[in-house]
Amino acid sequence: MTTAPRGEPRTPFLLAAAVWTVLVAAAVAALPLALAGRLPDPMATHWGASGASDRAMPIAAAAVRPACMWVVFALVSLGLAMRRRALNRAIVRAWTAAALAWCGVFFLGLQVVTVTANLGRARWQDASPVAWWIVPVVLAAFAAGLLARALARRGPDERPPAPAPRSDIALPPGRRTVWVSSVSAPLGLWLGIAALVAAVSLAAATLAGLSPTPWATSVVLAVVGLAGLALSTVSVKVGPEGLRVSFGPLRWPSRHVPLDRIERAWVEDRRPADVGGWGFRGLPGMATIMIRGGECLVVRYTSGGQLGISVDDAATGAALLNALVSAPRP
Amino acid sequence: MLLTLDLNDPRPLHEQVTAAIRRAIAQGDVAPGDRLPPARDLADAMGVNANTVLRSLRDLRDEGLLEFRRGRGVSVLRRPDPREALRERARDLLDEAARYGLGPDEVVDLIKDMS
Repeated sequence: MTTAPRGEPRTPFLLAAAVWTVLVAAAVAALPLALAGRLPDPMATHWGASGASDRAMPIAAAAVRPACMWVVFALVSLGLAMRRRALNRAIVRAWTAAALAWCGVFFLGLQVVTVTANLGRARWQDASPVAWWIVPVVLAAFAAGLLARALARRGPDERPPAPAPRSDIALPPGRRTVWVSSVSAPLGLWLGIAALVAAVSLAAATLAGLSPTPWATSVVLAVVGLAGLALSTVSVKVGPEGLRVSFGPLRWPSRHVPLDRIERAWVEDRRPADVGGWGFRGLPGMATIMIRGGECLVVRYTSGGQLGISVDDAATGAALLNALVSAPRP
Repeated sequence: MLLTLDLNDPRPLHEQVTAAIRRAIAQGDVAPGDRLPPARDLADAMGVNANTVLRSLRDLRDEGLLEFRRGRGVSVLRRPDPREALRERARDLLDEAARYGLGPDEVVDLIKDMS
């Protein structure tokens, strides 16, 4: 790979991913077909909790179905990673490679286990139990994922330039200067509403004796729904009183940070891949409220902790916070 | 969106709020096509009643600066006319000058001296 162009890791990465996808799909499909003479038709493809095989499929289907599932998974992962210039970022490459390696090895391992269990049997009901064979498959998949992650991480890492901080905000006396901005994720809103509706319907069904679902399910769904609603939209306000972050369509709950607890503010480009996903990420003191990838307002507390909020026009908010913090206060 | 309210402005509150939002649009804090923060957030930030903000937003819509769309909130339609935007600031300047005891003629002289 010494000929790979330096600075553009995208092409070799996509090439390797495509080769890997095709190889795994071909191996998964070819394995049962190549050994068709020594396999029962239909062959066992599913094992119940008791350890005995409980479902079967024709050999052709058992060959093609996992291969198709794998290809769909690989295409979706690659599609997600190909947006904009995402593959120029080491962390995106690392996690995409880890997902592809993990899943590819997992599919391969499952197919090997399935075929081995069926090998030399006359009827699919006689297939040997597979319970413990899953463990090495999962371990191998994890090992492959870690290895691929380490390999793909190498190479150049392009971090999008952070928007330049504004420093032109003057605070004339006798004026009240405030900054408001908000960001919302309509998907979060709909997911939250869907979860709440499901929670209420389930609870009603349980109450009426129509459903054996335990109460815990409704409670969990309700909590998920409320969290989804709260994180579907976030509004940020900076003013002489400090910083206020309000969650959800009702602007409640909200968190207020007085000015004298703020050391300074700046803008950073953070992506869900950097902070571990969407929503409230990290521990208090090192958290990011991630509603969408991109520019984030980051505030450093005098206590040493910091808080990041993905919000539009963060540069103005940071500049105003800095101006307010450094201005003389009564 | 950066908003500035003059705490000593004698004008009615809704005019001040209108001026603050118009100034934010004129200075490019929100560009045509951008959505404005919800009226409730604006009211909370400026420390005024939500109805005051709604009245200002309606005034700005009537001026042709804003567009109300059902379900999509309020978005900016166009930047205000520069003369109109300057009028706002000239007014601020005159008010400031008045505080130092300078009349409009003296301010005009000052501007002529500078250019």
